[in-house]
Amino acid sequence: MSVLETPRLVFRGQITWDPITTNNYIQQYDEGDARTNFWTGAETVATFRKKAIDAVLTDGSWNPHGTHRATYYDTSVVGVDTGKGLSADDPIVKCPVSFMGMLVDLEPYGSTSSQLFFDEMSFGIAGGCRVFAPRTTRMIARYINFTRNMTYRVIAGVASVVWQTSFPKANGLRIDPHDSPTLVLLAKALEDDDVLGLTVRWNAYRTLYYDNPTNMTALAKQLHDKLAGGGFQPNPARSELVGVLGLWRKGEPPAEPGERALLTQPPGVGTVASAHVRLTADQLTLDLANSIPETGVDLTKQNLGDLTAVAVAADGKTVIATLGTFGYDAYRKEAYEASAGIVTLKVDPAAAQKAQTADIQLRQKDGTVLLAETALRAVAQTPNVYLDAGDTTTLSVQVLDRGRPAAAGVDVTLVSPNTAADASVTSTTDAQGIATFPLAGETGIIEQYVLWPGQDAPAPQAFDTQQTTYVNVRTLPADSNLADPNQTPPTWDNVQANVLKNWQAMAPCMDNWLDLGNPDQVKSFAPMLHKLTAKENFEAFRYMPVVRDMTAGQRALLYAFLDGPKPLAMAAKTPPRRSQRRLSRAMRGT
Amino acid sequence: MIYLKFKRIEKIEDAIELLQMAIKLEFSTLPPYLYALYAIRPGTNAEASGRIRSVAMQEMVHMCLACNIINALGTDPALAVPTYPGPLPGGITGGGKEPLIIHLLPFSKDAMAQAMAIEEPEEGAIPFPHVMTLAAAEPTFMTIGQFYNYLDSYLKTLPPSQWTKGRNQIDDRQFLQGEVFAVNGYDDAHKAIVRIVSEGEGHKKDPLDFQGEVSHYYRFGEIFYDQVLTKADNPLGFAWTGTLGVDWNAVYPAIADPGSHDFSKDPPAAQAAQDQCDAAFTRLVQELQKAVTGNVDRLGNAVRAMFDLRMAARHALTVPLAVPTQVAGPSFRYRPDLTKEAVQ
Repeated sequence: MSVLETPRLVFRGQITWDPITTNNYIQQYDEGDARTNFWTGAETVATFRKKAIDAVLTDGSWNPHGTHRATYYDTSVVGVDTGKGLSADDPIVKCPVSFMGMLVDLEPYGSTSSQLFFDEMSFGIAGGCRVFAPRTTRMIARYINFTRNMTYRVIAGVASVVWQTSFPKANGLRIDPHDSPTLVLLAKALEDDDVLGLTVRWNAYRTLYYDNPTNMTALAKQLHDKLAGGGFQPNPARSELVGVLGLWRKGEPPAEPGERALLTQPPGVGTVASAHVRLTADQLTLDLANSIPETGVDLTKQNLGDLTAVAVAADGKTVIATLGTFGYDAYRKEAYEASAGIVTLKVDPAAAQKAQTADIQLRQKDGTVLLAETALRAVAQTPNVYLDAGDTTTLSVQVLDRGRPAAAGVDVTLVSPNTAADASVTSTTDAQGIATFPLAGETGIIEQYVLWPGQDAPAPQAFDTQQTTYVNVRTLPADSNLADPNQTPPTWDNVQANVLKNWQAMAPCMDNWLDLGNPDQVKSFAPMLHKLTAKENFEAFRYMPVVRDMTAGQRALLYAFLDGPKPLAMAAKTPPRRSQRRLSRAMRGT
Repeated sequence: MIYLKFKRIEKIEDAIELLQMAIKLEFSTLPPYLYALYAIRPGTNAEASGRIRSVAMQEMVHMCLACNIINALGTDPALAVPTYPGPLPGGITGGGKEPLIIHLLPFSKDAMAQAMAIEEPEEGAIPFPHVMTLAAAEPTFMTIGQFYNYLDSYLKTLPPSQWTKGRNQIDDRQFLQGEVFAVNGYDDAHKAIVRIVSEGEGHKKDPLDFQGEVSHYYRFGEIFYDQVLTKADNPLGFAWTGTLGVDWNAVYPAIADPGSHDFSKDPPAAQAAQDQCDAAFTRLVQELQKAVTGNVDRLGNAVRAMFDLRMAARHALTVPLAVPTQVAGPSFRYRPDLTKEAVQ
């Protein structure tokens, strides 16, 4: 199952990250109300932008002129594996891998809700060997590893992130194999009813800011001066990346790894981060893309010596089978970059048989346990959820038992960390191993929930990106007063003050496309603005506003203005309904 | 195919002169490509727009790389703006060696044919550096690819002391990641020239550039033929297949060569729209000039001016001229009177 099955493509390259950072700070943005913070009635777009520039020096805001774009560059296929081991002997090797997304944090203040909105991915070139993959689900940062780099710790430079999405074969996924044997095999595999499509998983690591690992204070001053000098001055960060493209089978979550989960042992500097593995009758494939730390900015891998995969008894200590051992050569920098961190071990069939129902661990030579399996995992099909106040939706959670859909009757608890256990909500899996939770948006708020599978399982003591699976939910306020023309007539002044000014101030890059302070321009772009802001285009790369924080009331007011004297198309929202299960702001103690 | 007049390189000053000409040449290809691009109605011709836009971006990259080379040789690049219609810099001629006049044409088969003529690859694989330096009889003309290869062969002979590290270099810190890089010596200059030639012309027997992408000539060809260049099991390895979905009618009714048009007879709104285009273009040139001559921070100002130009063009293409069924895109006129700032 999964990208750890063959055939698969391995790719490597770099990516730029160009988010606007101004909304990361409460001084500039209220993430509950989804509003840019103009602290006085007299504050203008110009004064706000100046403050945002000053925040480069005062708050560490490193990119007030960002565009939110995240773009692969210098990225290409570096190898293939058709079941005979890693090889560079295929025409698809060296072909470019193309991706451009919009990096948006569901929760702008935090660091655990990043997502990539995009339209398509391409492996190869149009007209040649190529996989063309239109987006179905956005990518959402998973298994964030905050101890990835042992010494380089600038902003998020210390971290690495797993990104994944899947492309259904019934949704425009296209493989043009031409003379590529690997693509021929991939295309053939798609004919299998059990194969839903393709999954891409990639790991971003060693993020450089200011394109420089040192001297941040001086570089921030330079950026500040450049911004103060006018023009359009983005300051993108950049990361290394390795990735894999392979099969997506039934029962596998589309947006998060679903294979057997080997979780990190108590986290800290130099620890090995959680990994996923696939065990067959005679082979163990480990995805260590996110796991082995680097010792510094030069990306030398920490040498942990020989590592051994074992199966253990229920006591978690007694080894019942040794699955295989690999040395530093299998996970050092060069091997990592060539294989995307995937290590394959030949396994004695008898040992593999024992490990099918036992926990797997990864150990050092002295017996130190680096990773230990947790059999049950609960993975949301859509880990980041947006709601308007008054909306309801259903959260679907796939429960996996050693990488396969769990049986019916497994309890799953949705819990907000650090709250009383009785604040949690429990559901039970159906025959496909899926549990569901109704969600209702009540008021403007951002909440984070942990998913915890298993009967009578104790609630987690804390949210941990390495140990727990989790869901982020953002509810946008209704702003019903803005949707009511009697309260807020759709005049230019009202539209500017309540809708457009927020993004005009926050996103100077908008000046490159449309002057949001110019009523004639805004009006002349009415059809395009309708299209770009329509809720049905929410997943699209060019959706506006890119940060996905336009409320229903703001949209109604904007459309009323764009549509001129026509009556308001959208009625005011009905008052939000209460939900018996929704974990409210009160439950969080805020 | 276009040809440049051959000029022998005997000393560094000759190479500098050719590099200055290269910068002017790369820059002068932008207006015809952008004029065609802007004339496409929004929301249509996505594939064609993407191809033209990608070529225009690479021409910008090529110009930056050429500026980096000349800076590394200790000389400030100087931008210059041709007028349209008019000849390209370098005594460029067409396939029959007749003078080649470049026009600003709205998106059309003629516009794509002109673009293909600019980007057409040289015939056959010519080991040019050796041929050029050893040949007894000098050629009179050379293609752009031959021109760059000849330049490369000379730069290779320069001693390390001729190169200055870190002089006014533009890298990919802000824009064009993975595309623009500093030139600090011959190896970097060679890499830049390989990129410029490969991305522009590709190769007679291989339409792909060094990165495995379709080169400029064939990108324009895909639009011209409204077909996709596809890998095929034939002796050439490729074939024209399928359709790109070009809609030649989804274009603003823009006049050709607005630089030759007398706007004084047009409504004031059309004149104002042209002034906005000219002002944005002039700022673009001015800011670029500063960026490549030591004030790299101004690159962001140049990019902003480029976006301003696009916005102004979008507007101009919706403002009727005296003939109310016609509009005009930007004339790409350098008018410092509109910005009150001349290039230093």
